[in-house]
Amino acid sequence: MTTMNTIDFGIQASEDLDATLNEFSRSNLNSLQSSNVPTRKTEAWKYSAARLKLANSFPTLLASNQTSKWNEAYSLDCDTIVISNNLIQEHSLKSDQVTLKSFSELDESESRKLTEGAIAQSEKLEFAQLSAAYMQNGLYIQVQANAKIEKPLRVVFDHSGNGISLPRVFLDVGENASITLIEELRLQSEQPSDSLVSSVCDINVGANASVRYLRMNQDDGHSKHVGATGVSLHRDSRFESYCLALGSELARHDLLVKMLGTGAECDLNGVCITTDKQHFDNHTCIEHIAPHCTSNENYRCIADGKSKIVFNGRIHIHRDAQKTLGSMSNKNLLLSSEAEIDSKPELEIYADDVKCAHGTTIGQLDETELYYLKTRGICHEDAKLMLTLGFILEIVRATPVDAIAEYWEKRLSEILSYEL
Amino acid sequence: MLTIKDLHAQVEGKQILKGLNLEIKPGEVHAIMGPNGSGKSTLSQVLAGNDAYEVTGGELTYKDKDLLEMSTEERAREGVFLAFQYPVEIPGVSNLQFMKTAINNIRLHRGLDEMNAAEFMKQAKTKIQQVNLDPSFLKRGVNEGFSGGEKKRNEIMQMLMLEPSLAILDETDSGLDIDALKIVADGVNALRSPDRAVVMVTHYQRLLDYIVPDYVHVLANGQIIKSGGKELALELEEKGYGWLGIADEETA
Repeated sequence: MTTMNTIDFGIQASEDLDATLNEFSRSNLNSLQSSNVPTRKTEAWKYSAARLKLANSFPTLLASNQTSKWNEAYSLDCDTIVISNNLIQEHSLKSDQVTLKSFSELDESESRKLTEGAIAQSEKLEFAQLSAAYMQNGLYIQVQANAKIEKPLRVVFDHSGNGISLPRVFLDVGENASITLIEELRLQSEQPSDSLVSSVCDINVGANASVRYLRMNQDDGHSKHVGATGVSLHRDSRFESYCLALGSELARHDLLVKMLGTGAECDLNGVCITTDKQHFDNHTCIEHIAPHCTSNENYRCIADGKSKIVFNGRIHIHRDAQKTLGSMSNKNLLLSSEAEIDSKPELEIYADDVKCAHGTTIGQLDETELYYLKTRGICHEDAKLMLTLGFILEIVRATPVDAIAEYWEKRLSEILSYEL
Repeated sequence: MLTIKDLHAQVEGKQILKGLNLEIKPGEVHAIMGPNGSGKSTLSQVLAGNDAYEVTGGELTYKDKDLLEMSTEERAREGVFLAFQYPVEIPGVSNLQFMKTAINNIRLHRGLDEMNAAEFMKQAKTKIQQVNLDPSFLKRGVNEGFSGGEKKRNEIMQMLMLEPSLAILDETDSGLDIDALKIVADGVNALRSPDRAVVMVTHYQRLLDYIVPDYVHVLANGQIIKSGGKELALELEEKGYGWLGIADEETA
C-alpha cells in the first residue's frame, strides 16, 4: 500500500501561521506517513478509488491570472470572497457583525478553535488531512453573537491550471446568530491528472444559532475535487444544507455533522446529477452525541450515460443520545442501463430510546406516471423530462436562496433536456 | 365518431374483451354498465392506448382513423380524453405545469399557437373553480395529497381545459358523495355539444340521473349483451344484473 507521504504534492504549508497552527499542520504531516492512498479495498473509497489516479508528483500551482469563466453565472446580492489558487483575493467587505481574517491573522484562541473543528479533528479523511498537512493561509469568518446576517456570504474556491489547491474556511457563528454561507467551487483543469482540489469548510454553530449552507460546483466535468464540510452543533442550534452537485472526473464530498448539544437540529438536502462518464461520491455522517436532537436527510440523485453516483449515509447514535429523531431518505433515478448508483445507509445505534428511519430507492421513471402524462397529449420526451426534473426540483426549489434555486433549475433543465 | 368492431383484448395473459361491438356518433352520450370483472376498465384503457393491454383482434376506428395505429399521446391530441378511475399522484410536477404542457402540446398539434401565460392562468383559475377546487391546488403536485373526490374533480377540470372530442369517464362516480357527483355532472354536461361524444363507464345508475344518457349498454364477460335507452339503466337498478342472467360480485 502506498502512503500519502510518498506523493510529492508540489505544495508547502504557509509560513505565516502561528505556533498552534504550525503544530497542527506538522502533526497532520506526520500522519500522512501512516495514511494510505485510498484503494478499492479502503471501505470509504470502495466505489471511487479507481477514479483517483493520483500522480506521483504534482506541479506547483501558479497564481491564477485569468478570471473564471463561471463568473456571474447567476446574479445575487451577496458578499463574496474568492480564494483563487490558494490565495485569498482582495475584497472590501466591512461589517460590524462579521469579522474576516486570514489564518495568518489569528490570535491563539482562534487558532485553537480552528483545530477543534469537526473536520480538523476527524482522523478518517485522508484529503482533509492533506489540507491540514500543507495548510494554506485560509479564511476565518466570525459572526458575532446575536447577529442576524441577512445578506448571504459567498466563498468561492477558484482553481485553474495544474497543481494542488487546498482552500480552507472556518466559520464560527456566535450564540443566537444566523447566517447563510454559500460555498461555490469554480474549477478549470487542463490536465485532470495534474490537478486536485481538496477543500475544507469547518463550521462551529453556537448555542441557539442557525446556519444555512449551500454548496455547489461549477466545472467543465474534467476536474478532481474532494471536499469536506464539518459542522459542530451546540445546544438548540440549527444547520440546514443544500448541496447541489454535478459530476466530474472525480468528485467527492464528505459532510460530517456532530450534534453536540441537546435540542440541536440538522436538515441535510442534496441533489446530484451525473452524465457521460462522470462521478460523484456523497458521504454523509451524522453523529448524535447529545440527547434530544433531530436530524433529517434528503438526497436525490440522477445518473445517466455511463456515470456513477455513490451515496453513503451514516448515522451514529451514541449511547447517551436518547430521544434522538433521525430520518434519512435517498432516492435515486437511473436514466440509462449503463449508469450506476451505489447507495448504502449505515445505522449504528447504541441508545435504546430513539426513532431512526431510513429509506433508499433506486429505480427508473414510473411507467404509470409517464402514461398519465401521455394521455393528456404530452409527448414521450417531454413526459420523461418533466418527471426527471420533477424528481429533483422539489429539493432545488426548496433551496433558500432564490437566485441560486432559479439558476439551478434552469441549468439542470438544460442538462437533462440535452440528455433526454 | 368511434366504431368498435369485434374487439378482443387481454391483459397479463387473460382474455377480457371477447368480441365487443359499439358505435358512437358525435353529440351522443353513452353509458356502459356492468358487473365487476366484465371488462369496463379494460375497454377504457384500450381506448386510451395503455400498452399493458394487448389488442388481439377487432377494429377500432376513431374519426375515420385506425385508433390502434396511434400512440397514447397521438390519441389525446386527436381529442380522446380518459378520466381515470384511480388517477396517479405525481408530486414533482405541478398541476399548473402539467396542464400548460398538455394544452400547448395539443394546440401545436392542431396548428394553433401556444396559449400565452396570462390567458392560461385565467382559464385555469376559472375551470378549477368550476369544479370547486381551491386555486391553490394549481401549485401543488399533480393529485398530490388529493382525496379521492378531489382527484376525480381534477380529472373533470383537465377535461374542461383540454376540450376533447371523445370523453371517456372510467367510473368517475365511484366513491363520490352527492355534492361532488353534481359537480362532476355539471362539468360533463357543460361539455355536451353536437360535435362531442361522452362515454360513461359506470357500475351504478346514480350518475345517470345527472348525466342523462342517450344510450345504455350492458357489458358482461367481455361483450355488450344488451343495449337500450336510458330506461334500461332504471330497469337494471330495480332488477339487478341477475335479471339479465349475469352474476355480479356485489349485491346492491
